[in-house]
Amino acid sequence: MSPWAAQVWLGMAIAVIGISMHRTGPAFRRHLFGAPVALLGLTVMLFRVEEPPQPELEVVAAAIEAAMWLLPALAGSTLVLMGAPLYWRTRLLPLLVGWALIVVAWYQYYSTMSVVLSDTIRWVSALLGAVLAFAVFALCVRTAERMTPQEPETEGLSEKERKYVESVLRRHLEVADEP
Amino acid sequence: MNPNLESAISAFAGSAALTSLFIILALIGTLNPYHRPAIPVLGASTVILASTYLFAKTVGIPADNVALRMTMSEGVFALLDILSIIFLVSTFMFLQASLRKRPEDPLLALLESEPGTE
Repeated sequence: MSPWAAQVWLGMAIAVIGISMHRTGPAFRRHLFGAPVALLGLTVMLFRVEEPPQPELEVVAAAIEAAMWLLPALAGSTLVLMGAPLYWRTRLLPLLVGWALIVVAWYQYYSTMSVVLSDTIRWVSALLGAVLAFAVFALCVRTAERMTPQEPETEGLSEKERKYVESVLRRHLEVADEP
Repeated sequence: MNPNLESAISAFAGSAALTSLFIILALIGTLNPYHRPAIPVLGASTVILASTYLFAKTVGIPADNVALRMTMSEGVFALLDILSIIFLVSTFMFLQASLRKRPEDPLLALLESEPGTE
């Protein structure tokens, strides 16, 4: 494999690792590095000194073509979610700008992409492929969980922990009682 | 082989392989002491290899490094294709979210209807 082909796949791998860093849970502290790592990956993937060989050249071309509608779509979706009354409070400016970007994204999609009816079979096949991959992953996770030995029962709270929990509960209950 | 069937099998194998690759990369990005990634990585790798073999047999090329790259490339094209469907569904959900109205709370309505409660 030529180094330019490897660069495309390496960039994609770094971008996916960066995107997956945006999560909660034990690895949450890493989320600060998510966006920079993802951007680094996209840069490595898209900017190169020499043209990569086939089929990577087509991959890069397809990614750039898709970016023409994906970027406004992502920005618009984010703004709509910020402005929509999800918690009964509408923020009109982000909402309107978001919808304008979504309209631009759909316009870009129909002006750059050619959609034909026979693509439906490809779409369904692609969805089935992704579902198969997730199903195998879920089965493997279940197997791994079943093979994990059970941990011993957790010990009760110590006196110090009990006092702390009591103080937290009391504080919250007192606040709730206030008019 | 029928070109439509070949295209469908390529999209299936490609998206299965690329999704499995993304799963492995996500496991790397989120690695923590509570993870037990060995079996899921093994499962995802098996899907990648089986998909590459299926793609190579369908297209009529040897199942080697080139076939793996071509399968992954097919996966990129296939997933870019279905992104538009995901965006279509998302647009409808955004529309619902944007037009959302606060439901009438029966308890608040009862409180407001009672005299002397301001």
